[in-house]
Amino acid sequence: MYRFLIIALLFSCIAFPQTQMTKEEARILQEQVGQKSKETMTITSDFTQSKHLDFLSNDIESSGKMAFKAPENISWQYLTPFSYKVVFKDEKLLINDNGNKSKLDLGSNELFKQLNHLISASINGDMFNADEFDISYLKEDSARVVHFLPKDPQFSEFIKAFHITFSNEGTVDEVKMIEPSGDYTKIVFSNRVENKTIPDEVFSQ
Amino acid sequence: MRFLASSLILLFLGCTPYPKKLGYKPLENDIHESINPYFSDSQKDYVYKANITVFDNRFGGILVIKKLDNTAHRIAFTTEFGNTIFDFILSDQDFKVNRILKEMDRRILLNVLEQDFRTLIREEITPSEIFAKNNKVLTKAKIGSKLHFYKFENDTLSEIIRVGNQKKKVTFEFSEIKDSVARHIQITHYNIKLTISLQAIR
Repeated sequence: MYRFLIIALLFSCIAFPQTQMTKEEARILQEQVGQKSKETMTITSDFTQSKHLDFLSNDIESSGKMAFKAPENISWQYLTPFSYKVVFKDEKLLINDNGNKSKLDLGSNELFKQLNHLISASINGDMFNADEFDISYLKEDSARVVHFLPKDPQFSEFIKAFHITFSNEGTVDEVKMIEPSGDYTKIVFSNRVENKTIPDEVFSQ
Repeated sequence: MRFLASSLILLFLGCTPYPKKLGYKPLENDIHESINPYFSDSQKDYVYKANITVFDNRFGGILVIKKLDNTAHRIAFTTEFGNTIFDFILSDQDFKVNRILKEMDRRILLNVLEQDFRTLIREEITPSEIFAKNNKVLTKAKIGSKLHFYKFENDTLSEIIRVGNQKKKVTFEFSEIKDSVARHIQITHYNIKLTISLQAIR
């Protein structure tokens, strides 16, 4: 049994050259991200998304634009290969699916409130909440990657783990959401602009 | 008496075979196998943006269909963000649910989905009768116990119609066809308020 475990561990080390951060390194990252999040009132960014399903020959790629306005307003807009926009605003979810508009009031839905909070937190990266997640701090090559494993069974049924890759400045470069099956969605951010006024229409349908 | 006569006429019309209602004539000497080519290439990932309207509720996502081998297809539906709503393996003998959102795990819904996907991906069509009108051919075949008519226009499959009591129950319309891929597929149910619209994104 032990031999198997050692081989498995060795294999995982070869496949993913990861090391644990020291406690100090983890503390510095948390502080840096917390500070950055406090200073950031708005973010606009481009994103590319790849959905990996093990049985497909190729990942499903999509891309678009994201806008964030503190505390928890988000516009998430796919531009290719389809047009689809979701806005989280004032506990409402506004959807524009290629011209078909719909609205959901999330005020009474705890799960969606949590989701809204989580998306905001993962855009900021500031989700170091030990009550909600089992957290491990890793270094992969030179990048800092934090693994968040939801503790809430209702949530972990959807998402087994979030892997967030942080830049040197403490901003989020990449979010990987891993499903219980092992399939995942990877979102990579680029062209990030902070604290620039975002027109209201960005947060409308 | 007049009521009885009109009832009889209605009854008679109701019993008229579906192809005859549409003015098709039987072709007796030309019964051969035909093919639904739209999900038949195991090298291809079939990826569609889906819009589903059920009882006036509208929601969307990504539908993925992959032919695994000669007997089975994998069918998965995710949100635009990538979270899996359902994931099935469908073969001639079996319908395996790998995953389904708890809220959707209802036998009646699974039956509808299984039946629709069976129709959508069934490749070989063994006809029992064939009918023709101008450049259109209607091929009658059964999938399980359900009666289906395959409409070919100029030898291209343009529609599958599931029929019960000589009336259409569900239609599958294929358009924007290129290289054996139907880039647009419209599934319409006539006995429940359900439509599924699929637009290829790859």
